Amino acid sequence: MNRMSKALAAIVTAGCMFGTAQADTLEIGVLLPSPIADVGWSHALNEGIAAVVEKYGDKVNVSTIENIQEGPDADRIMNKMIGDGHEFLLLGSFGYMNAGLKLAQRNPERTFLHASGYKTAKNFSPFTAKYYEGAYLMGMAAAELTKTKKLGVVSAFAIPELISTINGFTLGARSIDPDITVDVIWINSWFDPAKAQDSAKALLAGGADILFSNAQDTPSVVTVGEEAGAYVFNLNSSMKEYAPTKYLGVVKTDWAPFFVASVDAHLAGTFEGANEWLGMDDDVVVVEDWSSDISSDMMTRIQAMHEEIASGARHVYDGPLVNQAGEEVIPTGQRLEDGAILGMDWHVEGVNSPLPK
Amino acid sequence: MTASPALLSLRNITKRYPAVVANDNICLEVHANSIHAVLGENGAGKSTLMKLVYGLIESDSGELYWQGQRVELRNPAAARKLGIGMVFQHFSLFETLSVVENISLTIAGSRQVLSQKIIDIGERFQLKVNPDASVHSLSVGERQRVEIIRCLLQDLKLLILDEPTSVLPPQHISALFEALRKLRDSGVAILFISHKLEEIRDLCDTATVLRGGKVAGSINPARASTQELATLMIGHEVAGVNTGSNAQTSSNSQSSDHALLQLNAVTVSSDDPFGTSLHDINLQVNSGEIVGIAGVSGNGQKELSRLISGEQMEKHLPAESIKMIGQPVTRLGAAERRALGFAFVPEERLGRGAVPVMSLAKNTLLTTFYQGMLSQGFIRGGKLKRYTDECIEKFDVRCGGAQAMAGSLSGGNLQKFIIGRELMLSPRLLFVAQPTWGVDIGAATAIRQRLIDLRNTGIGILIVSEELEELFEVTDRIHVINSGRLSPSLTTAEVTPNDIGEYMISHNQRGSHGDNSNTGDGHAV
Amino acid sequence: MQFKLDRRERASRRMLLLTPLLAVLLSVITSSLLLLILNKPVGSTLHSFFIAPFENFYSITEVFLKFGPLLLIAQALAVGFRAKVWNIGAEGQMIIGAIAASSVPVYFVDSTSGWLLPAMIALGAAGGMSWAAIAAWLKTRFNANEILVTLMLTSIALQLLYYLLLGPWKDPMGFNFPQTVMFQNEALFSPLFSGVRLNTSIIIPIIFTVAVWLFMERHFGGFKLVVGGLAPQAATYAGFSAKKAVWVSLLLAGFAAGLAGMSEVAGPIGQLQRSVTSGYGYSAIIVAYLGALNPVGIVFAAFFVAVLQIGGDVALVSANLPISAVHVFQGLLLIFYLATYTLVNYQIRPLRHASSSTTEGQPT
Repeated sequence: MNRMSKALAAIVTAGCMFGTAQADTLEIGVLLPSPIADVGWSHALNEGIAAVVEKYGDKVNVSTIENIQEGPDADRIMNKMIGDGHEFLLLGSFGYMNAGLKLAQRNPERTFLHASGYKTAKNFSPFTAKYYEGAYLMGMAAAELTKTKKLGVVSAFAIPELISTINGFTLGARSIDPDITVDVIWINSWFDPAKAQDSAKALLAGGADILFSNAQDTPSVVTVGEEAGAYVFNLNSSMKEYAPTKYLGVVKTDWAPFFVASVDAHLAGTFEGANEWLGMDDDVVVVEDWSSDISSDMMTRIQAMHEEIASGARHVYDGPLVNQAGEEVIPTGQRLEDGAILGMDWHVEGVNSPLPK
Repeated sequence: MTASPALLSLRNITKRYPAVVANDNICLEVHANSIHAVLGENGAGKSTLMKLVYGLIESDSGELYWQGQRVELRNPAAARKLGIGMVFQHFSLFETLSVVENISLTIAGSRQVLSQKIIDIGERFQLKVNPDASVHSLSVGERQRVEIIRCLLQDLKLLILDEPTSVLPPQHISALFEALRKLRDSGVAILFISHKLEEIRDLCDTATVLRGGKVAGSINPARASTQELATLMIGHEVAGVNTGSNAQTSSNSQSSDHALLQLNAVTVSSDDPFGTSLHDINLQVNSGEIVGIAGVSGNGQKELSRLISGEQMEKHLPAESIKMIGQPVTRLGAAERRALGFAFVPEERLGRGAVPVMSLAKNTLLTTFYQGMLSQGFIRGGKLKRYTDECIEKFDVRCGGAQAMAGSLSGGNLQKFIIGRELMLSPRLLFVAQPTWGVDIGAATAIRQRLIDLRNTGIGILIVSEELEELFEVTDRIHVINSGRLSPSLTTAEVTPNDIGEYMISHNQRGSHGDNSNTGDGHAV
Repeated sequence: MQFKLDRRERASRRMLLLTPLLAVLLSVITSSLLLLILNKPVGSTLHSFFIAPFENFYSITEVFLKFGPLLLIAQALAVGFRAKVWNIGAEGQMIIGAIAASSVPVYFVDSTSGWLLPAMIALGAAGGMSWAAIAAWLKTRFNANEILVTLMLTSIALQLLYYLLLGPWKDPMGFNFPQTVMFQNEALFSPLFSGVRLNTSIIIPIIFTVAVWLFMERHFGGFKLVVGGLAPQAATYAGFSAKKAVWVSLLLAGFAAGLAGMSEVAGPIGQLQRSVTSGYGYSAIIVAYLGALNPVGIVFAAFFVAVLQIGGDVALVSANLPISAVHVFQGLLLIFYLATYTLVNYQIRPLRHASSSTTEGQPT
């Protein structure tokens, strides 16, 4: 018995020792919810990490684990990453939040970046992109090109981040043409090509002639748009190759500046956990690959709006804002608070589909 | 016999199994134009020998000669190539396919050509069967014909038949024999496995008797007496069944005071498209009598058995439709009926009467569980083993003990085990389906004797059998089942087998399956 | 040289024991070859799979954390499989168990009662059973194929889970994220050791295993199920109800799967979220067969599969193996097991010297 407990103690000690920091190279662990692939969310995150590697070269060592469903297994893998001595963790899905936060509290000397979440700690920063800023510009372009005055959105989860993106898109479109309405289908998945495709087709059948692939890690919706001759755009990374003639553009996220800055801060010992909410002025939200079918007149207006938003002169959620029920939420001259956007659980007027409650 | 070399010659064939030498130094010659009987008790090695000849198994030592040439038969295909065909006791036909479809699975040729051949062969050898009939609609006799025809369709020189008559009514046995004689006269040699001595005397030109894996002797059956053959087969003289005294046989009382089983105007339509509907069945079994149900297989025996045993419950019948030991049992299941004092030996031993891959002890539990074998639902292993051991001993079940798998027993021994298990329940009403099917003469005699002894103690017994001789030997009354209808009760002592045969095949009652419409000769066996 | 497959006279006990080992060996060899082709280090990958899970205390507790639900569900499924009741939907029953159990902390957010956990256990088991009961009812009433029904009920269970998480049970403070509140400590099993996730729920599968063993080996109820599976006609003949067998098999599986789901939400997860099953409902089918449907064999099989899954996680992180490679390895294992299992009832012989029977070689 005594020998046994000694052996056990040895194992525990070994395990702890294994977990201690390693010299010189910074071990970076990346956990992603979907396959990296050529496009999409995980791809964009991976590109950001690539920029870190580019800057630091041999001084960082990145292990990337893709396609990990949130849940107890993901928790264990994070744990294993900590055990293997990773100092800087990038957790690529909101579902990793609770377990990640627990690990952060237990390992105060390590740094955690967590995508899409809302909980913060000293060494734990959630980060989100202000997609709605880009989506607003896309809405303007869509308003010019639609004939049916109906736009369709295939969307992942009814979380504030995606709700606010749809609202931004709707506001942008209705700023040009107030008759425009938007249909939304929630498919409750980041990655479900078949469902995404079916939903896109359903939207087209319902009269929409422009598609928005909201947080889909598959080009399914984009492909459907090209085949049906409907303009289509998406988030995170360009999918133009899947819709060479009907690609409206992309609301791209360029995480490189934020990731590099975070690693800088970690190495310098100055990292401060905060809710990182990044937009066009941070160069994180980038809108590009504009369709050449957009009139130069409209492009000029879009450019102007881009500058106004980036400079802060104008905000997507400036009043007046009216919700689906027709009630005024924000009067003219006022601006929706950041907290209200981060927790957005309502649609603006013009969105036809009710929000799942 | 002819001067040419034997068609098939076995020399010093030995086949060992882990527990037993199945064939020990067997020598046997089969000639063309002859019907050669292979006689023997269960376990004598008949089937093993036939499997060797058909290439299903290979011998450990010894040689096989075909038309004077040494051959090695590695598989049935090789045997078939030489012109050897075999019809097993259990047929290998797909029920949902038609006759010609079944045959075209193994014989090349278009359906049309094959159909014509089937009809031709049928006429030539009196093996008539409708090539377009579905197999499920055929009687056992017709299925047997299909199997034989299938053999004949390849250039057949030797036909092996494994207990072919055990499934046939008497009229059709003679028809089969006619066909076999025609076959013989056309040049085919026939190996006929049987334990029915009368048949062998009637049909066969030569008989080889096996006992304990060895050749006990070869004789001309036509010249030997049944008694001689039997003695050769089992090594000592066989006693006939002693019917003993039965007070109620003569009175043939139908008084319901003594009625242990009553079926009152039971009509059940079958939902199984291949099943037979039962029409207006009235049946009574009294204490101290044996009632037999005769009939060609497939006329409702299966359905009637399941209805009486409780395996099939017809809840829509009036409660009083089936009464057992004074109580209405229409709505009681098999286990509940057993608890009343009913015991049942089903026709299929493996898979129904016993679970092949379970030990005899576990198989004992199947029907004895309410006899104190359980304590709060847990199995009392000791008690179960004692019961099983007793059954093995009392009923002379040859096996490796209570832990032997049921599937490892020979058919006859398993039957002894199942009958023993059921009798040890001390039932008041016993129902036995095919009590001696495939059981050798020694064991069959013992089983029949036991049934009679039981009757004499006042137990009521119902027997379903396709062997008329057996029914005549043991029953007091006989019903004949035909197309799901039961004939009136016939006093055994007052009828002849031919009377029974008339009821079996009488056309005015005969339908195909279920309904009453006459479908003609194609289905009448 | 040609070979043929001969049926053995009786099932080989030795092969029965050797089969799992042979399967493991073959899958190790095959996956090593695949690793070589992928240009991944074979040694360290195998190390990750088979050694690393035992290298430190935390990993060992993680192995047991996985072992628990696998064991629990596999034992129950094996009972059904022996009765030839094909419940493929333990996954769905697990989800419903998790949902039912979660209703307690979701509706009694502030309760610190000692009855929270017992109530969750009861509701978890009841939830799983009720889901399985749907399949049992459809099977016994309409003879609906239970494979399809249980499988489809899994999809329905998943949609129900999504509905609750996106709607009524959504954490009001959770910014619309599809998850419930984090459960209070009183609604969670306590960790067995500090700092690990392995918790007191591990006792449930252990007790359940003993109970299943007793039931199958010593109890008449188990006997009835086995007879029904091996020889349905013999079961009818004996008067055992086939419908009852369906009910018992499915309810038992629902009970176990429901408890497993409950132990997940009241254990390592600590809330109801979109993924609560970790695929246990499906892996348990593999475990049941790997353990030859035998209660003792399943203990080893569950442990082995748990090691394999933990090892797979380690391989992801340490050997940088893609997750698909882990799944390939697990799939190989099952295929090799089923292939080698043939050798229990058959033997391979060179065609030239074939001598055993192809049918039952009984002397008669």
